[in-house]
Amino acid sequence: MTILEVNNLKKVYTTRFGGSHVQALANVSFSVEQGEYAAIMGESGSGKTTLLNILAALDKPISGEVLLKGKRLSTIKEKEISAFRRENLGFVFQDFNLLDTFSLQDNIFLPLVLSGKSYEEMTRRLEPIACKLGIGDILAKYPYEVSGGQKQRCAVARALITKPQLILADEPTGSLDSQAAEGLLRLFNEINQEGQTLLMVTHSVKAASHAQRVLFIKDGEVFHQLYKAGMSDEVMYQKISDTLTTMATGGGRHE
Amino acid sequence: MSRFFYAKLAATNLKKNAQTYLPYILTCIGTVMMYYIMVFLAENKGLGKMSGGFQVQAILNLGSYVIAIFAVIFLFYTHSFLIKRRKKEFGLFNILGMEKKHIARVLGFETLYVAVISLGAGLLGGILLSKLIFMVLLKILNFEVPLGFNVSGPALAAALVLFAVIFLLTLLNTLRQIHLAKPVELLQGGQTGEKEPKTKWPLVVIGTLSLGAGYYISLTTQSPLTALSQFFYAVLLVMVGTYCLFTAGSIAVLKLLRRNKRYYYQTRHFTAVAGMMYRMKQNAVGLANICIMATAVLVMVSTTVSLYVGMEDVLRTRYPQTIMISAPISTQQSVEGLQRSVHKVLAKHRLVVQDRLDYRYLFFPGNQEGGTVITAKSKISISNATSSLREYYLIPLEDYNRLTHKTVSLGDQEILIYSGSSKYENDTLTVLNRTFTVKERLDSFFEKSLERSSISGSYYIVVKDMDVIKTMEATLAKENRNESSGYNYYLGFDLDAGEADISAVYQDIRTAVGSDYPGSSIESPVAAKESFFAVYGGLFFLGIFLGALFIMATVLIIYYKQVSEGYDDKARFEIMQKVGMSREEVKGSIRSQVLTVFFLPLVTAGIHIAFAFPIITKLLAVLNLTNVGLFAWCLVGTILVFALFYALVYGLTAKVYYRIVSWGTSV
Ligand SMILES: Nc1ncnc2c1ncn2[C@@H]1O[C@H](COP(=O)(O)OP(=O)(O)O)[C@@H](O)[C@H]1O
Ligand SMILES: [Mg+2]
Repeated sequence: MTILEVNNLKKVYTTRFGGSHVQALANVSFSVEQGEYAAIMGESGSGKTTLLNILAALDKPISGEVLLKGKRLSTIKEKEISAFRRENLGFVFQDFNLLDTFSLQDNIFLPLVLSGKSYEEMTRRLEPIACKLGIGDILAKYPYEVSGGQKQRCAVARALITKPQLILADEPTGSLDSQAAEGLLRLFNEINQEGQTLLMVTHSVKAASHAQRVLFIKDGEVFHQLYKAGMSDEVMYQKISDTLTTMATGGGRHE
Repeated sequence: MSRFFYAKLAATNLKKNAQTYLPYILTCIGTVMMYYIMVFLAENKGLGKMSGGFQVQAILNLGSYVIAIFAVIFLFYTHSFLIKRRKKEFGLFNILGMEKKHIARVLGFETLYVAVISLGAGLLGGILLSKLIFMVLLKILNFEVPLGFNVSGPALAAALVLFAVIFLLTLLNTLRQIHLAKPVELLQGGQTGEKEPKTKWPLVVIGTLSLGAGYYISLTTQSPLTALSQFFYAVLLVMVGTYCLFTAGSIAVLKLLRRNKRYYYQTRHFTAVAGMMYRMKQNAVGLANICIMATAVLVMVSTTVSLYVGMEDVLRTRYPQTIMISAPISTQQSVEGLQRSVHKVLAKHRLVVQDRLDYRYLFFPGNQEGGTVITAKSKISISNATSSLREYYLIPLEDYNRLTHKTVSLGDQEILIYSGSSKYENDTLTVLNRTFTVKERLDSFFEKSLERSSISGSYYIVVKDMDVIKTMEATLAKENRNESSGYNYYLGFDLDAGEADISAVYQDIRTAVGSDYPGSSIESPVAAKESFFAVYGGLFFLGIFLGALFIMATVLIIYYKQVSEGYDDKARFEIMQKVGMSREEVKGSIRSQVLTVFFLPLVTAGIHIAFAFPIITKLLAVLNLTNVGLFAWCLVGTILVFALFYALVYGLTAKVYYRIVSWGTSV
């Protein structure tokens, strides 16, 4: 079953004083199946964050549409959009986006509190997640008291606790050292094996090689895609590198 | 690197940080201006020569000290705020290869610029404004306006020295901070305040106790004289309480709320409690400052205004009759002699006496302890826990009966007693080795007696005759190792005449009576008016002037609070939306928090004032203002004006805040 369907997205930024235009997305289309683990690759500035923001309804495209489980995002009323986001989507960001005014536990609870869940229900949900992510001991601490890897695992817990249809991750390993990054990627694979659909945006080949499918965007369009289909991480890594080299050395449509 | 480079970099820095530096420089200018004007007035020769000018200048001099102390504390505080926000910038300079001594040189230039601009503009503004303010002051004081305009050299010098020292101190303090910090710490400078605040229970307890004690003093102090000595302690206690409770108390309450899971994990409370905790940690001291300054402004302005407005009342209370003579009558002199002198003066002016009141009396102060009066000067104390200071007036029955048209009779050991509003409880009164039986407690006494003007309670005691008074006077003299000085005679009356005539009569009586009756006092509200205008007008001026200064400070603190929170809230605002809060929810939650933080000091100031009301009315009684209603109205008026002003400032700074928060968000 298709969870996410993206058709012909286009996004142009106009600078503050209306001077120049930057085309972030030209014509992006793809879809994600239930239970899939997909990665979107592209250089810095290729429009990955813009794409994720549109998928999350944090930003609006100029044209094109996004369907989540068949529901067109543009038809959701302004008032319901944040509840919709809360209940269907989970986010993991490069810079963690944890609130320093809350303890890690409260950061994880935040979306549930916003949905009006009871404390008992929240603790019941947190227990297995905390156990799996290995953050049980640090829940009472504050974001500034723990390492980047620990922060990111808490952000993952916050994304998982609402049992979302889809988790969107924007460069989740971008601020982590290689060991913490490796741990997080393994975690994503585990979560995916348990049935969670994941869409990760990254420019790290290493990170992308963990996904089942990798989409490449360049010049605001989906340029190519690769299926892992039983390949090992190492082989996938090589294939992604090759594709990137091709893209950079004139394999593109424009050169 | 050339010298020129640092000078230029310093200028660029100031421009780049204009959003925070401009208000700071404006405040410096304002403070310099106000200080110059205050010193200018306090040492103005023309003002000193006017009658009553001396008192006014004593008050203004006090004002200039207040401004100086305030300037040191306040500019130091705001400057440290500026530097806190800029630590990251210094860290960056450091990492980019500038040594600390180079940074110091840049900071030196920056300080120099700020000092030159502030002193230049401030002194110029002060000189220009001083003339205007001078005329306003003279108008308030009811003084003639002299011509001429001058620049005060001493005032210029005083302002230059004071502010040069302040700027130097701020620079040294900044250099000290930078010298101590490591580059990495500098880089994190803006974020070092992120740590979760600890609950400081001892501070909470101290704060609660001292606030309670301060309130208790105000509520329980009965006599105006004790109020005078206790007010200072009450103010100190309330200040300590305010600081402790704003800093530690607020955190403690919020933590207790957070501990209650059922309450805390509700959508509305969740973000509010955490947000408030963060805000209180950042701003507690600033908010406590605002609260204390607001309280000070309200008290100062309302009391000085009500004294000034109620001056006629005050004069009437202090001087119930138009001419009031009291003279010691020794053996050689006679009461009739004094009466004759006064009548001769009145006859000369063709004026007739109205509401004449005259009686002989013996006066002495003493401590009332139960039914006993302690009169020895060496043993009398002003504030004593078990007894209180009273004034005693002994009057012969003959005079009492004559003035009240009664025919009371008294035995040798009997007295009538009038104790004002407080009731005399005992059946006997022991004073100066004699014990009297109280025959009657009077409900009222001579309408225009001296009693109303007295700040400590007065006892009017009617005794059998002048023999009793004379023996008691002898005992009193022996007790205090004095010569016997006889008794006193009071003669007071009203005149149906204009102020000029009364003034002339007053002068003539002074010449006629003064030399024959040494130690006599001749008073008239007409004569006192000038010096009352000088004192109460001077206080009024000072109240308004300092009020304006404090308001300026409040505005600046609020502005900085908004700016600094704006930058921090911006990031938070974005995260919350990403995690699933709607824009409206985030906005609503931030708005209610900002409003709470904003109006917390004002509400607290209101509570302080409500509790201070009793003690302030007693203090005003010392200054002869007994019209509590007038004071209450002035207070309400001041509070309303201040609240209006405060809300205005909020509205303006909130705009800056929301602009910062929503700037650059594409959402
Ligand atoms: N708010 C914005 N206003 C204007 N231009 C933007 C804005 N956000 C992103 N851009 C531009 O859009 C392009 C894509 O940015 P982004 O989606 O952040 O790329 P990526 O996440 O792949 O690095 C870049 O050229 C960037 O400069
Ligand atoms: Mg990005």
